[in-house]
Amino acid sequence: MQTDLLAILIPLLPLIGFIINGMGFRHVPKGLVGILGTLGPLVSFACSLLLFTGFGGQTIKVPLFDWITVGHLNIPFAFQIDQLSLIMLLIVTGVGSLIHIYSIGYMKHDEGYGKFMAFLNLFLFFMLLLVMGSNYVIMFIGWEGVGLCSYLLIGFWNKNTSYNNAARKAFVMNRIGDLGFLLGIFMIMGAFGSVEYTEVFEQAAGFPIGDATVVAITMLLFVGAMGKSAQIPLYTWLPDAMAGPTPVSALIHAATMVTAGIYMVVRSNVLYTLSPVTLEIIGGIAIATALLAASIGLVQNDIKKVLAYSTVSQLGYMFLGLSVMGYTAGMFHVMTHAFFKALLFLGAGSVIHAVADEQDIRKMGGLRKYLPITYWTFLIATIAIAGIPPFAGFFSKDEILMHAYQHNKLLWVLGVIGSAMTSFYMFRLLFLTFFGRFRGSEHTREHLHESPATMTVPLVVLAVLSIIGGFFNVPEALGGEARLAEFLNPIFNLSRRVRPSAFGETLLTHSEEYMLMGISTAVAIVSAIAAYVMYVQRVSLPEADTVERPVVQKVLYNKYYVDELYETIIVKPVRGLGDTFYSFGEFIIDGIVTGTGWLVQQASGQLRRLQTGSIGFYVFAMVVSIAAILCLRFFVRF
Amino acid sequence: MKATEIIFYVLTAITLLSASFVVTARNPVHSVLALILTFFCLTGHYVLMNAQFLAAVNIIVYAGAIMVLFLFTIMFLNLQKEDEESKTTLTKMAAVVVGGVLLVVMVAVFRAASVAPYDPATYNTRVGLVESLGMVLYKDYLLPFELASVLFLVAMVGAVMLGKREPGDRHF
Amino acid sequence: MLPIILLSVFGIVLLFLGFLKTRAVLLPAALLFILIALGAGFLEWNKSYLYFGDMLLINNLAILFSTIVLISAFMVVALSGDFLEDEMAQPAEYYAILLFSIVGAMMMIGYENLIMLFVGVEILSVSMYILTGSDKRNLRSNEAALKYFLMGSFATGFMLFGMALLYGAVGSFTLTDIKSYILLSHGRPSLLLYMGELLVLIGMLFKVSAAPFHFWTPDVYEGAPTLFTAFMSTVVKTAGFAALLQLLSVSFSAIYGFWWVILAAITALTLLAGNLTAVYQNSFKRMMAYSSISHAGYLLIGLAALGQQSRSALVFYSLAYSLATISAFGILLLVAKQHTTDGRPDESYSAFNGLSRNNPLLAFVLAVSMLSLAGIPLTAGFWGKFMLFSAAVDRGMVWILILAVLMSAVGIYYYFRVVIAMYFREGQAGRIRVAPFYQFILIAATALTIILGIVPGLFQNIM
Repeated sequence: MQTDLLAILIPLLPLIGFIINGMGFRHVPKGLVGILGTLGPLVSFACSLLLFTGFGGQTIKVPLFDWITVGHLNIPFAFQIDQLSLIMLLIVTGVGSLIHIYSIGYMKHDEGYGKFMAFLNLFLFFMLLLVMGSNYVIMFIGWEGVGLCSYLLIGFWNKNTSYNNAARKAFVMNRIGDLGFLLGIFMIMGAFGSVEYTEVFEQAAGFPIGDATVVAITMLLFVGAMGKSAQIPLYTWLPDAMAGPTPVSALIHAATMVTAGIYMVVRSNVLYTLSPVTLEIIGGIAIATALLAASIGLVQNDIKKVLAYSTVSQLGYMFLGLSVMGYTAGMFHVMTHAFFKALLFLGAGSVIHAVADEQDIRKMGGLRKYLPITYWTFLIATIAIAGIPPFAGFFSKDEILMHAYQHNKLLWVLGVIGSAMTSFYMFRLLFLTFFGRFRGSEHTREHLHESPATMTVPLVVLAVLSIIGGFFNVPEALGGEARLAEFLNPIFNLSRRVRPSAFGETLLTHSEEYMLMGISTAVAIVSAIAAYVMYVQRVSLPEADTVERPVVQKVLYNKYYVDELYETIIVKPVRGLGDTFYSFGEFIIDGIVTGTGWLVQQASGQLRRLQTGSIGFYVFAMVVSIAAILCLRFFVRF
Repeated sequence: MKATEIIFYVLTAITLLSASFVVTARNPVHSVLALILTFFCLTGHYVLMNAQFLAAVNIIVYAGAIMVLFLFTIMFLNLQKEDEESKTTLTKMAAVVVGGVLLVVMVAVFRAASVAPYDPATYNTRVGLVESLGMVLYKDYLLPFELASVLFLVAMVGAVMLGKREPGDRHF
Repeated sequence: MLPIILLSVFGIVLLFLGFLKTRAVLLPAALLFILIALGAGFLEWNKSYLYFGDMLLINNLAILFSTIVLISAFMVVALSGDFLEDEMAQPAEYYAILLFSIVGAMMMIGYENLIMLFVGVEILSVSMYILTGSDKRNLRSNEAALKYFLMGSFATGFMLFGMALLYGAVGSFTLTDIKSYILLSHGRPSLLLYMGELLVLIGMLFKVSAAPFHFWTPDVYEGAPTLFTAFMSTVVKTAGFAALLQLLSVSFSAIYGFWWVILAAITALTLLAGNLTAVYQNSFKRMMAYSSISHAGYLLIGLAALGQQSRSALVFYSLAYSLATISAFGILLLVAKQHTTDGRPDESYSAFNGLSRNNPLLAFVLAVSMLSLAGIPLTAGFWGKFMLFSAAVDRGMVWILILAVLMSAVGIYYYFRVVIAMYFREGQAGRIRVAPFYQFILIAATALTIILGIVPGLFQNIM
């Protein structure tokens, strides 16, 4: 009973927050808005903790009511509490609460503060539905709901048209993915006669490996995941989504919503295990996404854009983990990524806050002195994401790479290359922002200030988590117990049953594992040093958009002959590659999307011309159709 | 060939000819006159099919009342002159082709269709008389018959509503 | 049966009430009459009756469809307060015709004999021709009425021809007789039956504006006074689909193999034509006309994939669609009045710019109705689509499912245009004064849309 109550309370509280703040927008006093908005997620987090501590290892189903019956298909509205949803609950409510607290400081002076908090709460509600639902339909409702909230929040500063376009793009791209998901659900209904996880998976376990229906279902579901989790080719909306306020980027476009696709695949792990073809395709797309996004990240100058591409790239890593059936590794990376990426975004927000809404890193620099807390926490997050031990990112990324190595050496090599790029662009960002001297205007410099406590406290908490997050799942090779893996183990029971061979004990010896760890760590550190040399010692700034430079700087620039060599041999090709990928991504894929839109418009225009307004033509069309129907029915055999 | 068959074919020929004249005539008055002829021919068909009451009603209501109204209106509105836009030859051709195709399709289907046979021995020759019609109408089809009055009421209300002269409308 | 008698009488009573000096009594009287009819309908709940020698069949399905029709009519009448102030309007006649047209709709819903269907269709259609042209001073209204009348008569001709052919084959107009004829014919019924069925289908498809018989719809919907457009796009559609469902499920389910291909092709065509053309429109009202075509397409899925689930899916979808459509038109009425260009209300998208700023309630109502029409979860429209789509899955019609899902994505595009205009655009819309009752109706419709979206099972328990 108590579990039921807790399970109901968790999504209900943010909803109540949304209703109060949303309905009473402009009437609720400003001081209260923040408290109300934050209280919901915090209490939800407490409830999740209580659930977690009281969890006995048995999957709990909390039926609320009988939802809908379509023919033989009965869909209850129920929550399912098991290991997977618990982990997600903790991440969502935990990180969510921190970001809510942060938003109090960040958004307080905004005109639509109450509206913003209401939307954040609503988002949280849908996200919780998504992870707690006991069937695919509830997941879909949450899925659509978070998409809608993301749309509302990206376009939050809706005075700006380009922001609106970004919002629309996000919505459309997500919809394309959602269509795949929806079709997948209908396929599941057709194949299994149910959408309840337990029933579907139980039945699916009886299917042979590589069954065509299962392959189709998994492919369609993955299309949904591509949209939501920004994989090639549906990733371009995520960088554009950075138009929203920074806490939104942290919560929705880094820590929670974008990981929904990974959650869904892990949830359906039985189906994916049954379909090796899909896993291969996911692997290909994932590594391509990881590398593509990372290389684009190398040349970005907007602080949030760098983080956005980094998110896309990290999502690629998570899918890479899933594709080699390292489901736990994928989930582990979801968790650690939530910590350090949220921290990075919030840190970026703190920076943007300090430098009067400037996002171009070429106009920053030297902020270390002015924003000490932000700097230190940002540094921790950077080390964590770069995969340098013993911070969180190292453990999770290493586990993914290890699984990849076991599966396919090539994937591993590419993964390590990507990880080198990750380390490079992250340290580049760090150095350009916090080191050197300040490059902004004098006026801004005078106003540089550390953010208020509501903003720095979440930073510190997340920094701590980014440091210790990895210890939840220390591999045995390092003397750990892999606690997360053990905890999540029951989720994969059915997968293990259908393909025991794939889930066997690790074939790697400890020395091999050490070697892998060593290589990835070394690569990360070398990249970091390269970034240091380039951006701190040599102060090579990225070229301004306008190529002309002041004479003094030109001379300064030309003094480094080594630099030019370095430029032509390493930087230029890399940058060229990044630029190429950038144009490939932004223009070709956008081109396809807008092209489809254009096609629809054209078709629409042509169809509209049929609407002449002349009755004679209408009657003519009608008679033609009738003749066609009769011919079709009476004289054509099929 | 029996006498009824000869009458049938003659009537049919006149019906079709006059009906096509209704459509093709340039002068609306001619059109209406051809329509009256068509109705008379149809009445002949009703008689052939043993539907005497229907035949009488058809003459009284359609050929009589409604056609007079038609003529009246047309002359009233002075629609003598041709002011309708003339269709291009292409449109006409297309219309003829499509109409023809529809006709051919239907004829082809009907030729192959079987029609429920009737037994001359049990056939009730008085089926078309007022009495049997009344029995059917006021017994079996009472409900639709009564509800048809709603249809007429609607039509009447609508006619009055749309036709009523508003202040400021022009006088005819 | 009782509602049909009551409404016929009430219609006449309303005509007489028109003699009174005060017009104020008309609106409450009309609402009261509809409510009485609604209550009377439920007296026959859970009893299945055949009236007047197999003329009318009243069962729960018929009562549900009638209820949707009555609710739609109630809402439309409730939103018609403007007529009482308009000197040129003739509210007594309007309301009387509306009540009579409901009689026609109910005949189409519960018919057991094709004659009843025909008379019902005619009552409804003639009422609509008249109401379309009721704005006498507006040339477009006149044109629309004439267009509707001419096209409608043409379609009725085909339908009547079809009925005659069916009689020729079967020797009876009763649906169950047609069914037993088909069953007794050992799979070789007369070709007349096939031809007759197709022609009746074509006539009915015209009435529900399925492509390629949809061409009249945008012109007529745009020309007609907005309120009657709302009535047409809900009541006529609901009754039309109820009639089609009755015809296909009772009489012709045995020859499903014959007609499903045609219906599936028409479904696909309707979905494409409705959704794709809606994208290009600049007038909200015209967009709604195309949207009604596209929704006819979704509803047709339920018929093309005729099965167990079709009934409840069609009822649910009709209800969801009617609620959303009427509240959308209700808002349009209010907004269009604010801006006039050349003396005519402005019905383009831009009229909605910045509506949320000063009229958050109206913007919210319209947003919910757009979401519901687009089929976004947690609105009734989502479950309507969900049920129809799963009916398609049951029949294994995957290609139609894919098309429908794709087209619903296209739908998002044009439904969201107005949402974007309301929330994200700047406009000089002032505060719009809304009568309390009007407001109540809008809120009730919105609340029902959301409730049905959250707990659709509630409704299914009734079925």
